[in-house]
Parts: sequence; structure tokens; C-alpha cells
Amino acid sequence: MEFEPRIVGFLCNWCSYAGADLAGTSRLSYPPNIRIIRVPCSGRVDPMLAMKAFLEGADGVIVLGCHPGDCHYSEGNYHARRRLHLFHRLLELFGLEKERFRLDWVSASEGVRFAEVVAGFTEQVRRLGPRVRPEDILERQR
Amino acid sequence: MSVTDDLRRIARELLESGRVTRVIGYEEGRRGQVRPLVARTVEEAGRLLFDERCARNLALYLLDFKPQGEEEPPAVAVVLKPCDARALNVLVLENQVRREKVYVLGVACPGIPGKPACASCTERIPPTFDLLLGKPEPPPAPAGPDDLSRLLALSPEERRRFWAEQFRRCIRCYACRQVCPMCYCEVCIAEKLDPPWESIAIAPSENEFYHVLRAYHLIGRCIECGECERVCPMGIPVFLYQRYLAEEVRQTFGFRAGMDAETPAPFMTFRKEELEDLP
Repeated sequence: MEFEPRIVGFLCNWCSYAGADLAGTSRLSYPPNIRIIRVPCSGRVDPMLAMKAFLEGADGVIVLGCHPGDCHYSEGNYHARRRLHLFHRLLELFGLEKERFRLDWVSASEGVRFAEVVAGFTEQVRRLGPRVRPEDILERQR
Repeated sequence: MSVTDDLRRIARELLESGRVTRVIGYEEGRRGQVRPLVARTVEEAGRLLFDERCARNLALYLLDFKPQGEEEPPAVAVVLKPCDARALNVLVLENQVRREKVYVLGVACPGIPGKPACASCTERIPPTFDLLLGKPEPPPAPAGPDDLSRLLALSPEERRRFWAEQFRRCIRCYACRQVCPMCYCEVCIAEKLDPPWESIAIAPSENEFYHVLRAYHLIGRCIECGECERVCPMGIPVFLYQRYLAEEVRQTFGFRAGMDAETPAPFMTFRKEELEDLP
């Protein structure tokens, strides 16, 4: 059976969730692998939410927010950007694939872009394969 | 006059004059070790000492004198090495401690022999103090490639295996958290049950989650005292990831935690024009 990645998407209420809605009402198709969680702002997304999703079996996590300058709360997405940047550095040190965790911007009018971003990310995670747990690594060594 | 003699004399003066209600320092413990002492009387102040065994970061104990509501916190004096004083600066920045209530007996740090964090440290004078004890010695010559650069030279897969091997030993006693002056949450997210973030099960995945959590929560806040690693009963190199992140923060934002008590930490602020290439 072909590997179907499980992807969790945290979408900001004001831009990206509306963008996803537009993709739907425009009858655009995008991979059904994404499970969308609506959050008030990309600045709400603690990177530990992504770690928690990975712990629960997600293969990829994507955070989508308003474009810089468009945040409903003026600055939430700038905070998200800093956090995600340093969190990626952290993942690198631990050897955790940072390619499984992405931040991107989708506005309320970008239904097409939403479908493209989700399709691109799903393909990227599909190529990476299932996420390996530390249990699997230790098991393999025996 | 030794640092200890000066320390005892000044501690007595501070207590006698009523300038402070307590002096937090070190005293002789058992089996040749030193232990923390909260001296409240002139007699107790006579037991204070400072030498190369004083590894512990006493800024941790300032959290016991946090301002509670309207009540004024008591004035305390505390013996702080450079990294400990950086911890104080972070606590002041984060409104946990009022600087004017703390009299800092800064000590010129000799570097604690055998403490991994001290091997890569060049700081000899605390960034904040009210009185400086001892004479700073020149910092040692930088050492060659260390364990961090060796780790970074590995492939991502090898790094993951390295940490999986390390974290499998973790018994999640949370000693690294308890000893950290920056870990002052009343209820740690690692122990929150509603909703639960991590299971209490000691499994490789849960252990990995805990260490990523701890590393992340200390980004831009870790003052590199290395107490976490010193107290780890399982010998896990937990300071290694803190040191790496402190270096990343320095390179990306030109920021080092606790060098003063005013500069906002990286996660407190942002610039509109930065990090424009999304990963």
C-alpha cells in the first residue's frame, strides 16, 4: 500500500482558514491528507503543538498565516516567524527533519495558492516517508 | 584578604545595618562539598565562603522572594558568579525579581574546575553587581574542537541516533528543570494533565518530546550556567543543546541572554524586515 502522509495544518482564522474555504467553494481539489485545525493567529501556534502532533503520529505539520503586514492582530505572524525560525535550528541539532514542519502565508483571497501549498507540502512529506520515532531507531540497532 | 574573608565581613555589615534581611551564599557542606546557605544572622554570615567548588547557581533562590501581590519583597543579598548574574538579569527582565531588592555580591569567577559549561566560558566579571569580590583572572585560551562541533559534523541521521541513545537513559526526574533559574513556571507544561502534553511514561518518544520542550522554552533565555548538565544523574549532555541554541541566538539576533536587564529577548520582539526567506 502506498504511504499516505498524515498532515496537520494550523490555519489562522482570518486569512488562511478563509483561503482554505475559498479553495473549497471554488471547487479546487487538494490532497485530503491535511487535517485542518483553526487557530486565532499563526502567532498562537506554539511549535510544541507541532511536536505534540508528531508525537501523536503526524508525518508533517504546516502552519499557515496571513502575509507579513496583514496580520489581524498586527504582529502575530512576525512572532510566529521568529519562533519557527529558531525552532528549525533546534530541530536540526536534534537531527529531526525540519522539512516536516513548514510555515507559509496564505491570504483569504488565495484559494488557489492554498491548494498549491498543501499539494506541494504533501508531496514533500510523501517523499520523506513515514516519520521515524526514536523507538524505531533504537529498535533497529538491536 | 581572601574572597571568603571579604564576603563574611560585608555580609555581616549588610545584615547588621538592616540593608538586607538575608544573605544567600555558600557554606561548607558534607563530604567536602559546598551547599547553599541563607544567612539571616551575623553568626550565620560567619559560615559563608566562596571558592572553586561553588558551582551552584544561586539566582535560583531569588525566586523564593518573588513579589506577591501588593506585598513588598524583602531585600536580600546574594553571591553571584557571572553566569548567575546573567540569570538575575533575565529574571528582572521577565518581572520575576525586582533588582532594587537584590544586593549583588558579584564574584570574579575562576571557572569551576570540572564543570563542562566552564570549559567554553570566557566571562570573568558578572554583568551586574553592587560589589565585586576577588580579582578577575584572564580567561583561558580557547580550546580546540569540542563535543558540540563534533556533533554538528555528523549527518542528521547520526545526530538523531546520538540523541536517541542519550535520551533513552533519561529517567525524567526533572532535575535539569528544578535547578534552572529560568524554569520558574508554577506548573510545568511537562506535568500539565489537562490537557496532557506528554505522558508520564518514560519512553524514547516522550523523553525526546521533553528535551525538545525544555530546549525550546529556553531559547533566548538560557544564561549558559550549565547547572542542568551538572545535576543530571544519568550523565545526559543536556547543556550541549542549550549551548548550541544560545550560539544560534547570538548569531541570528546578536543577542546573549542576561547581559543586561533591558534588551528584549528574541521572542519578546521582532523586526518587520528579517527572515524573509521562509524555510
